[in-house]
Formats: sequence, structure tokens, C-alpha cells
Amino acid sequence: MSLMREIPWESCLLEPRRDPKLERRFRRATGRPIGPIIYYSGTSWLDDTTLLFNIDVSKQVSIDSELVGLIAMIVSQDNSCRFCFAETRALLRILGMPERRIAQLEHDLLSEEFDDRERAALEFSRRFSRSNPPPDKRDFDALRTAGYDELQIIEIASIASILVFFNRVTTIFALPPYAFEKLPDRWYVRLFRPLIAYAVSRTGNTAQIDPLRPNERKGIFSEIVLGLDGLPFARSLRKTLDGMWASNVLTRRAKALVMAVVARALGCALAGKEANELLLAEGLRSDEIEEVLTHLASPALTAREQQIVAFARETVWYEPARIQQLGRHAMQGLSREEFVELVAVASIANMTCRLGILAGAA
Amino acid sequence: MDSSAIRIAIELGIAALAVVLGLLLRHRRREAGRLRQRLESATGKLQNLQLAFSRFAPDEIIERVIADGPGEIGEKKEVTALFADLMGFTALSERIEPNVLIRVLNGYFDRMSEAISQHRGYVSTFIGDGILALFGALTPNPWQGDDAVHAALAMREALAVYNRELAERGIPELSIGIGLSRGMGIAGLVGSQNLKEFTFVGGTVNIAARVQDLTRQHDADIIVTAALKETLDPRFALRALPDTQVKGVAEPLSLYAVDGFADVAVAGD
Repeated sequence: MSLMREIPWESCLLEPRRDPKLERRFRRATGRPIGPIIYYSGTSWLDDTTLLFNIDVSKQVSIDSELVGLIAMIVSQDNSCRFCFAETRALLRILGMPERRIAQLEHDLLSEEFDDRERAALEFSRRFSRSNPPPDKRDFDALRTAGYDELQIIEIASIASILVFFNRVTTIFALPPYAFEKLPDRWYVRLFRPLIAYAVSRTGNTAQIDPLRPNERKGIFSEIVLGLDGLPFARSLRKTLDGMWASNVLTRRAKALVMAVVARALGCALAGKEANELLLAEGLRSDEIEEVLTHLASPALTAREQQIVAFARETVWYEPARIQQLGRHAMQGLSREEFVELVAVASIANMTCRLGILAGAA
Repeated sequence: MDSSAIRIAIELGIAALAVVLGLLLRHRRREAGRLRQRLESATGKLQNLQLAFSRFAPDEIIERVIADGPGEIGEKKEVTALFADLMGFTALSERIEPNVLIRVLNGYFDRMSEAISQHRGYVSTFIGDGILALFGALTPNPWQGDDAVHAALAMREALAVYNRELAERGIPELSIGIGLSRGMGIAGLVGSQNLKEFTFVGGTVNIAARVQDLTRQHDADIIVTAALKETLDPRFALRALPDTQVKGVAEPLSLYAVDGFADVAVAGD
């Protein structure tokens, strides 16, 4: 039994909502059941993002799907995300990875089960997700020495960043991991495993290099998006950032505050500079912005913004049970839609700022 | 012996051999199963140990220890140190039974540790009845100064509640002095070959301890240095104390007593 199952996990913060149209759309695009999105669906850009990132995780340009699964496991384990860990573990088992190899990954990343190339990618992914301290030039050099080219390095970082996003969304909402934890041992899954594996693998796992179009080269945090150019994920992130910014559930000022606080916590100068400009455009003065970012409070903020800022900092490094309790507390002053968007924006901020640090290091 | 008897004997021999081999195989399988179980249990224990360790040192340090052993591991960091000590504890220890004293002390440590961790601090060590807590040591924390002083205020509040509980049990109340300082130093594994701990060494910790010593002299339970005060939220109510010379520091220190915190006035929603 995986020790991940012993991580304290609160009851789910949200009630599931069925949306047959979204379910059909999801199944058509990924070949899989809709999964966790039923708990937080309803925010249009977040529904799209979940779908796009699911596709990006399952179709790669330059790395193989087994490595993607390993990255997903190692990042989810590092973030103590029981949900994503159980989901990835189940998928790898269904796809035929031996239990011994999965257990090895859980117990010891540095085990001889992994060759130098795999180990370099996994260490990099974990360092990227952890960002304590953030990856630097030496981490890139280690990947180059292990034989990865620039596109493969960006793709490894992209996969890790998608997991940074999903880990936060599923952990903060405390989505129930129990079904996935038991799934690989169900008799019908064991019996039909080859068929299920065939069906899943039929969705294909290769994508083509696809540069951003001129109109996709602009927009908020475009420097970070341009660093991913060539990967379909760059387009997904562009759409996500545009959708998030256009949404009117939370104010733009609140969203920029979340980005600025996460950038300050992680020390991402690139995202911090842009978030600062967004806040200026939203009516905060420079001294007020500095006050907020230095003390996480200012008379210039509304009570709700104060609450949002305090919550945003907690999403950078956390323990699951504590962030879930803080999430439950943050929910009290917000509607369901606002809370869902707050968690989503904070998760996107964590992903984008980590990619921003990487862009600086590269 | 006719040929059919020989054939039966051979068949019986083969059957017996098959049974023996089957039993041997079953025994080997069981043995392998037991070994696998023991290995899984040992790995599980190791993983538990690693999880437990992560509460005492940054993940990065733990991994380096696992990979290379507890060698010379250290890094330069900016940290805020909080040093808390019980006042008059020696006198108290002479007035109450040892087992009651230990219960009182453990209750105190529990409450103080909770107040510290609620504000993202990490208890580095208990020194007798003293506590050394660090902010910004495990993960980078640009808000470490505010967090540390909020933790000190939470400790003051938690102790007041605890003192009411002690009074109900007829136990004399406790009082603390807390010193806080911020600065650069080295975070790493420190100790002998046999015993090492993750802690922070440098002037910052020494100054926090010296400042804590001054709480009685200045009749203030929480004192911060000027270096820390510069980074604090202006809503902390601070009171300037006379500059004081402390051992090991060339210049007299500018110090401030922390009286409280005024919650922020907010703009209308």
C-alpha cells in the first residue's frame, strides 16, 4: 500500500455538479471519463484549461509518455497530492508499468531502477516544482549533459508545471482520491486491463511542433508564454491566461494581486514586474503595491482583497491538511464561483511564476 | 520384475520428484513472499522516517543526507530568530513535584510550538525551558519578520490562556521573555559525529538570545532589534527602549518593545 494514502486529507470542499455537455466534450477530447472536473466545473475558462492541460499531458512533442507518467508521480508525491498521485499511479498500472517499478519510484527516486537520463529529468522536475531554491543554470546543464535538447527540457518543465497546477487545484479543493487509490485493484480493471490500456493508448501520445501565431504572442505574461513557443502547451497557457484575465468572477485587481504575491514569494522577477504593471493599471499606486507586497496588507485593499492576498501566499508551499483548512476558511467570505476562481488563479500563478523563474535561468 | 512394474516404479518416482519439487517451489515462493513483505515494511519505515525528518529540516537537506550522508551541509540564508525563555522557572521547579513540572513544561512547549507553526515558524530546538524558533529557514519567506512578531504575540496570548488553566489547578503562573532578531547566517547540519541537528548559526541567533535576556531589565515581554523593526509592518505597536550594550556586539543595540498589533483599516468593498 502506498504511504501517500496516509497523508491527512480533509473532506471535499465542493459538491460535484453534473454537466453532461462538458462530460461529452471531455470524453471526446481525451478518451477518458471526465474525472475531477465535476467538482469544480462551471467557470468557463477553468473548464477549458482543465481540458487543454489534460490533452497537453497526454500528447507530447519530444519526450515519451512513460517519462511523463514518472514526472507526474514525482511532482505529485513532492506536493503530497494524494489525488494526482493516485490518478497517475492507477494510469501507469493500467498502462502496464510493473508494480515493482512504481513502488521503486515512490520509495527512492535515486534508485538504480532509473537510468541517468530518467533520473536527471525527475530531479529537475522535482526541483522545478519545489522551487526551494528555484532551478538555475546548473540544473539546465545537468539535463543537457544527460542528453536532452532544448525542446525536451522545455517540455519536461511544461509537464511539471501542469502538475504544479493540478496538484494545487485538487489538493486545495480536497478532491476525494479514494476511488483512484483502489481502482487498479478492482477485479474488472485487472481483468480488462489490456483492453483499457489499448483504449487509452489509442488516443495517441504524439503532438507536432506548433509555433504561436502572431496574435498569440501578445497578452499578459507573454514573455513567459513565448519561452514555451513550439509546444502546444504554449497555446494552452496563452488561452488560459487570456480566459482568466477576461473572466469577471473576481476583479482584475484581485487576480493581479494573487499573481504579484506568488511572484514575490517565489522570487520571480519576470512575473513580479508584470504583475506590478497590471496593478498600476488597476488603480493601485506604487507605494501601495509595495506596502501590500512587503506586509501582505494595506488600507488601500478591500477586506476581500486582504483575504485573497493572505490566502495566495499559502498556496506556494503548504501541507495538504492545512491548506485545505485555510481553503475552507477562505470560502466563507466568497461565493462558490469566486472561491473556485481564486484557487484556480492561485494555481495558475504558481505555475506561471515557476515557469518565469525558469525563463530567467535559461 | 516385469517391465510394467518398472514403468510404475519410474512413474511413481517421477511423481514423488514432482511433489518434492512442487513443495520446494512453494517453500521458495513463501520465502520470497516473506522477504518481499519484510523489504516493503523496511522501505515503508524508511519512507515514514523521511516524512518525519521533513518536519525538522528542509527536503533538500534530507535528500542530500540520504544521498551523501550527514557531511558538511550548509547554506547562507536570511532568517529571523525568535528566542523565548521562561522567567523564574528554576524557582518554580523547586516548588512543585517533578512529574507535575514536566507536565506543565510539556503543556507550555505544546502551546508555544503551535503558536510558532501557525505563523510559519520552525522550532529549531528546545534548550532547557528555552525555545529557539526560526522563520525563513525551511522555505524562503519574504514576510518572515512580520510572521515572527505575530508568532510572538500569539505566544503571549496562548500563555495567558494556559496560565488561566494552571491557576485552576493551583499551579503558579508562567511568564516568558521573547527576543527577536533578523539577519544573515548559515543554516545547516551542526553537531558531532553522533548527534547532528538542522539549525542556524550566526550572530542573529546569539543576538536574539541576548535580547531575550534583556526583557526583564526593560520590563517588556517581547523585544525586537532595530534590524528587524525596519522590516516590520507599521501596524505593530512598538515602543523604543534605551540603547543597550550586549555581550559580543561592539555597538549598543537599538531595541523596541512590542505592545501589540492594530488590525488594518480597509477600503470599502
